[in-house]
Amino acid sequence: NCPLSLLVSVVLVGLLCLVFCSQPTSLDAAPLCTNAEAGCHVLSLANLFDRVIQHSARMHSISNDLHSEFELYFLPSKNQIGRVSRNCHTSNILTPNGKENAQRMAREELTEVILKLLVAWRDPLWHFHQSMTHFHDFIDFSSNKSLKMSDMVHELRKGVQKVVEKMQMLGILSNSVSSLMSPEAFLAPGSAEWRLMKDYELLYCFRRDSNKVQNYLKILKCRIVPEDGC
Amino acid sequence: MNIMALSLASNLLILLILSSLDWLPSPGSTFLTDWDHTTSSALIEPHFTECISRDQETFRCWWSPGTFHNLSSPGALRVFYLKKESPTSQWKECPKYIHSNRECFFDANHTSIWITYCMQLRTQNNITYFNEDDCFRVENIVRPDPPVSLNWTLLTISPSRLNYDVMVNWESPPTADVRLGWMRLEYELQYREGNTTNWEALEIQPHSHQTIYGLHLGKEYEVHIRCRMQVFIKFGEFSESIFIQVTEIPSTEFPVHLTLVFVFGTVGILILIMLIVISQQNRLMIFLLPPVPAPKIKGIDSELLKKGKLDELNFMLSGGGMDGLPIYAPDFYQDELWVELMEVNETEDVDSGEKEDNRGSDTQKLLGQSQPVSQHINISCSNSISGPDAESAQATCYNSDLPEEETLMLMATLLPGQPDEEETSLDTVERSSASETGERQLIQTQTRGPQTWVNTDFYAQVSNVMPSGGVVLSPGQQLRIQESISAAEKETKKKRKESEDSEESEERKQKEPQFQLLVVDPEGSAYSTESSIQQISTPPPSSPMPGEGYHIIHPQPVEPRPAATMEVNPSPYILPDSPQFFAPVADYTVVQELDSHHSLLLNLPSHQTPPSCLPQHPLKAPMPVGYITPDLLGNLSQ
Repeated sequence: NCPLSLLVSVVLVGLLCLVFCSQPTSLDAAPLCTNAEAGCHVLSLANLFDRVIQHSARMHSISNDLHSEFELYFLPSKNQIGRVSRNCHTSNILTPNGKENAQRMAREELTEVILKLLVAWRDPLWHFHQSMTHFHDFIDFSSNKSLKMSDMVHELRKGVQKVVEKMQMLGILSNSVSSLMSPEAFLAPGSAEWRLMKDYELLYCFRRDSNKVQNYLKILKCRIVPEDGC
Repeated sequence: MNIMALSLASNLLILLILSSLDWLPSPGSTFLTDWDHTTSSALIEPHFTECISRDQETFRCWWSPGTFHNLSSPGALRVFYLKKESPTSQWKECPKYIHSNRECFFDANHTSIWITYCMQLRTQNNITYFNEDDCFRVENIVRPDPPVSLNWTLLTISPSRLNYDVMVNWESPPTADVRLGWMRLEYELQYREGNTTNWEALEIQPHSHQTIYGLHLGKEYEVHIRCRMQVFIKFGEFSESIFIQVTEIPSTEFPVHLTLVFVFGTVGILILIMLIVISQQNRLMIFLLPPVPAPKIKGIDSELLKKGKLDELNFMLSGGGMDGLPIYAPDFYQDELWVELMEVNETEDVDSGEKEDNRGSDTQKLLGQSQPVSQHINISCSNSISGPDAESAQATCYNSDLPEEETLMLMATLLPGQPDEEETSLDTVERSSASETGERQLIQTQTRGPQTWVNTDFYAQVSNVMPSGGVVLSPGQQLRIQESISAAEKETKKKRKESEDSEESEERKQKEPQFQLLVVDPEGSAYSTESSIQQISTPPPSSPMPGEGYHIIHPQPVEPRPAATMEVNPSPYILPDSPQFFAPVADYTVVQELDSHHSLLLNLPSHQTPPSCLPQHPLKAPMPVGYITPDLLGNLSQ
């Protein structure tokens, strides 16, 4: 009896393995390439926009979380919105303040605004992260979001540059934007203003600016990639 | 003018006092913080109750005059706002009043996102009620409109017909520009059963559909949804409720039957398969796991090893007609001088009291006859001594220390059976033939030398019963005798302690075994045999052999010593090996080993038996007859 049952169980196991092992393996991730080389999976502009927008949404979410946690940890008193004494250092960048304004803006301008914002926040966030490393408790509390944030700004800027390149390649954007692509072009005289800002103010301002970037990207996509509802 | 100045002054004074007292709730703590209603009795100055944006393009603000009822008239309070878009911004008045609602509406032209607004209430007299906490950014005050077009569809009903799942669909509020992506919403669905007060909230997710699992049939459910902007906190209002109810569906017979059919069909098939497997188990087993072929000795048919075919086996082993078997069997019999036939006159009456005399006479006879045998024993023993156990064998062959009581071997001897004795039988096989009462039976003495004792079974098989009452013992089996002897020895010991009465004889008669054995103790050889047998393991004294007691009569006059020393010294009672070594009927012995010439060395099964007394000829197996049991044969087939 025992050998027979053993044999039957072995056969069953073999059958099960055949069933499950014969399933196709995971889909291979196609490598991305900007040039339409053979074997590359070329991303469409819409796809690029989607990725960038997703990234910016995540960046905005993290900045919001960090701002709330900062408030909870360092400033347990009430709403501090009115207490911000000075404007954000990015205030000199002219940004559309509404949907219609953004829609009316030229694509190149809008793209420029986005890039300017992203560039303007690279250094301040890095500095913020450095200053936060002294507060180990806060870092544990906020699970090191500041580092994530500064990385994300960097990544997002590169992503938007890729999108711009693609748009220029497709002829959607004029080449006037290219002059603004290098980070040196954004070194405005007021670029050191952020050093005067306190940490909380930095977070407060960045939360706003990340929301701006997210919305601008959405509007830009809607204008460039024809979609239902735009 | 005076009155007005007075009123103004009084108002200011009151304000000062109250503010100094500092129990006045902070003015302007309006929509951004919860309005504390516990201080309703206190003076509450005009404040903003709430500012809300529905679409992130416009917003509205509502104010309240507080307890200043004189300011409640429309126009008494004015709304001013400050847009902090530049350092030189200024306060501006509300672009559109809705006095009926005490509402200030900011249209798209006046609404800027990501810019801080501060709100202020001013009276006609430019008294300003302003709270720093009332500054906000429009994206933070967005509360979207509730979703619209709620509907539900039935997904599944559980097989138990008690629960069901429902998919709820809706659309985003039309005011929220979701398609552009200007507002990204996430929804929270809540449902409750009937009229209970607790709402069940499902997970917040951004899709415009959601499944509710596990609703109960027959009950009515109420569902409503609200939404908010992703990443932000403030929810909009709940939508209008929809009601879900699924009544009992009359169960169609088909699914039930189908289920039953499947279940029973499967069970039946399984039972059938099991029956087939069980009935054909052997064949299946043979098919899957072929049996291992049984061992086979070259030249010997395994059939011969079965019961009752010893003759053929002997024939074959003796080399008759078969090839491959070494012909050494005849050598077996060269030393078979230990088989002897002895007769004892049975005419003498043997009473219990005269037993000893009888024994004496018998013993003499036996001694007379056995002496040469014993001599022969000595001789043969000396011949046979070989091997590593030579010394012990020698000790056994010649006189040595008397063994303990346990190491006794019974020498079967013949005994004149008492006429009133019960019938005796040699063993179960011969029982029927020897059942006449009073018949004396001859038991052949196995007075063979210790060689025999040591190396072979010290038992013999009764192969024939003489008409005169003698018993012909054939070599090979003394199982019964030995088995019985051990039991008989116990009895005898008992009897030895008691006096020999007639009662005893009666007892004996009643308990008498089938036949009696007289332990012959030849003077010299007895000891020698004793000593020779001392090596043999003793059977456990408790080995019971009921019904087969052997009456052991001590050869008293001849050997007073043994009688007296029965307890002290090992009497000539030589107990055989423990019966466990012997099977009741079969003619066999244990094959001890296989020597270099592949001859079977058959030995006594006693482990104490020194195997040394082997015949010098290595080919000669000490066993007179090559009895081999099939299972033992298996061990030898190499």
